[in-house]
Amino acid sequence: MSTGPRLRLPGERKDGAQPDLHAEHQILNMGPSHPATHGTVKFLIELDGESIVDLDVQVGYVHRGFEKECESRSWYQCIPYTDRLNYNSAILCNLGFCMAVEKLLEIETPERCQWLRVLAGEISRLGDHLTRCGASCLELQAMTPFLYGIEARELVWDLQEMLCGARVTTNYVRIGGVKHDLPEGFAAAAGDLLAKVRSLLRDFDAVVTRNRIFVDRLKDTGVLSKEDCIRHAVTGPVLRAAGVPLDLRKDEPYLVYDQLDFDVPVGTVGDNYDRYLVCVEEMQQSLRIVEQCVDRLGALGPGPVDVDDPRVRWPAKGRVFEGMEELIQQFKSVTEGPKVPAGEGYLAIESANGELGFYLVSDGSQRPVKVRCRPPSFLNLQPLPLMVRGAMLADLIPTFDFLNMIGGECDR
Amino acid sequence: MAVRVVTVNRVAKLTWVERLYLPMILKGLWVTSRHFFRNLWGFATGRSEAFVVQYPEERVDFADAFRGMPVLVARGDGLPRCVACGLCEFACPTDCIRIVPGELPDDAVERTPRSFTIDMARCMFCGLCEESCPEEAIVMSREVEIATFTRDAMLYEKEHLLVPEALLERRLGFLRAEYGRERAPAAPRDGA
Amino acid sequence: MDDCASPLLRRLLDTHGSALHATHARLGDATAIVKPPALLEVMGFLRDEPGLEFDMLLDLTAVDHLGEEPRFEMVYHLYSLARNHRLRIKARLPESEPVVASLTGLWASADWMEREVFDLYGIRFEGHPDLRRILLDESFEGHPLRKDHPKAARRPPVEPRQA
Repeated sequence: MSTGPRLRLPGERKDGAQPDLHAEHQILNMGPSHPATHGTVKFLIELDGESIVDLDVQVGYVHRGFEKECESRSWYQCIPYTDRLNYNSAILCNLGFCMAVEKLLEIETPERCQWLRVLAGEISRLGDHLTRCGASCLELQAMTPFLYGIEARELVWDLQEMLCGARVTTNYVRIGGVKHDLPEGFAAAAGDLLAKVRSLLRDFDAVVTRNRIFVDRLKDTGVLSKEDCIRHAVTGPVLRAAGVPLDLRKDEPYLVYDQLDFDVPVGTVGDNYDRYLVCVEEMQQSLRIVEQCVDRLGALGPGPVDVDDPRVRWPAKGRVFEGMEELIQQFKSVTEGPKVPAGEGYLAIESANGELGFYLVSDGSQRPVKVRCRPPSFLNLQPLPLMVRGAMLADLIPTFDFLNMIGGECDR
Repeated sequence: MAVRVVTVNRVAKLTWVERLYLPMILKGLWVTSRHFFRNLWGFATGRSEAFVVQYPEERVDFADAFRGMPVLVARGDGLPRCVACGLCEFACPTDCIRIVPGELPDDAVERTPRSFTIDMARCMFCGLCEESCPEEAIVMSREVEIATFTRDAMLYEKEHLLVPEALLERRLGFLRAEYGRERAPAAPRDGA
Repeated sequence: MDDCASPLLRRLLDTHGSALHATHARLGDATAIVKPPALLEVMGFLRDEPGLEFDMLLDLTAVDHLGEEPRFEMVYHLYSLARNHRLRIKARLPESEPVVASLTGLWASADWMEREVFDLYGIRFEGHPDLRRILLDESFEGHPLRKDHPKAARRPPVEPRQA
């Protein structure tokens, strides 16, 4: 071995000690509250330079004991709790829970109610996707599209407020009905909204979709293949972006989705860019569905939106004030709550993030034995290490954003 | 009616103009300046369409259905309409209502709440108390500004909660419009 | 008790009849109650058998039937993307030894959901690669979704960890 002089490596000390370049992996804590992630979650990242070697996702920071709380409440009182699962699409969570209870009760809601539920659900989905796309742009340093997205979401929430009485925690769907019918002037407001949201989406699209910086950040990052999606039970836009056209609205049509005209967009590669495109297309489809629902509700004319069954739904208020029978019934319904026949049932709907399922067990009493929410965010987040292993640290941000993990739903 | 599966139109390759950065930056500027000048024009002519509301000088007018903090409806003589039946206490998912019933000997209703406390820090504005009330005595107001410096100040007593009926007309009107609605007979589920 | 209305259940009864306690299809949900030792084998069959092809484990949870024996019940919801059908599999576990085989080898989605059930119910999964709490803090005592865990239980705030 030669002992002659040789060129020193950059950083190598004179005594010949080797420089410590890329020798040791670095552990980085990201979160639980980090400005570049929407959602409270902690990443324990093992880094080699700027590449991610491994990642441990630690969830649970927003765990509030949703299931435990529901087990000590009546079926009716659980509905406001489901609002808190997903702040972006609270109506869809209400809907999933109430439909699951209706499955146990074996009742069917009136036609007008079903159209109202679809309408409310699609408004909710629109808000969810707008947040996902808008906030993701923000975390990629694009402030303007975020503002357009959030402005559109505010408009959507205005409509939601008009319909449900609250912008975020809607508490709209009831077991056996909905809280109230369409308010006056809703069709006109919805028409206004559709035009404004479409125009904002056009601006959003003009600024972002073919912008080189945005495309470079999203294309071929966070790829999750079709097979991996299926192994990990990933559903929703993430699965559809990988090219699997699974949409419960199409595959197991519930409510009146079989009478509606809409497209299910699918991607080809399964990267973040496909997820973005799928979400944007789904927003267009949601707008179409809202349009069809408003038309159809107008054509249906006034009609009942609740089932007339004191076993299930609190009696109509007008009759409570007048009739003794209804007053007694009201006292019975509120204090005892609906009694759900003993049994178990699982019902899933297509929420904005994927399959939102409720598995309920009843022992025939007024309180649920088990309220299991199958959270799409939780399962969609699970393969995150698979998506970013070997990628740059910066790729974690768009990948996590387009999964749209909602803390409330993921951690329950 | 049909559901179709469509494949999204993925940009395979950006054109050379798009890859030059500059034209796309100009395009972005065009979109944002359009918004800017439209807002500026609205501001100058007093027909502002800007989305931002200058709170607290300007307020948003909530929808009719809006649920703010729950309040008690006062009768003409200042007493609450509430008869302390306790249904809202039962219906409340967060147990934020506490009622101590009392007697009202020389009145037709005979019962009144001796104390009625709502813990606004726990209340989640779900509206189930209003829905369950058989006397139209507790309703959701349009009040949302309830921030305080201490948690104790979030305990609202009967005196703080009483609001004359005249001030709650919009909410009561909204509720009453729903009263006459008919219900559909319960149909059994298909295949069940 | 055995309801053969569903062809899925018929098929399962024909091939693995001895591994099943009971089947039913109430409310349209095909359900099979499996003897815990045979769980892994039945699940493997369901995943790989042509015509069944349950390629997704959508949901995994447990139910605590306090006062009954066996006390715990594992509930699995399977979905077949290729065939668009669903099946629920259940297995009862005794209170004294709540242990069941892990399904992580069959479906990757079982990983976090089994950790969650371990966390909230204290059911252990044999063969799970990384069985630790997921929603709660490591220092949490007890398993809160068990029916005998008081809802009003309070614990002191978690101390900041010393570096």
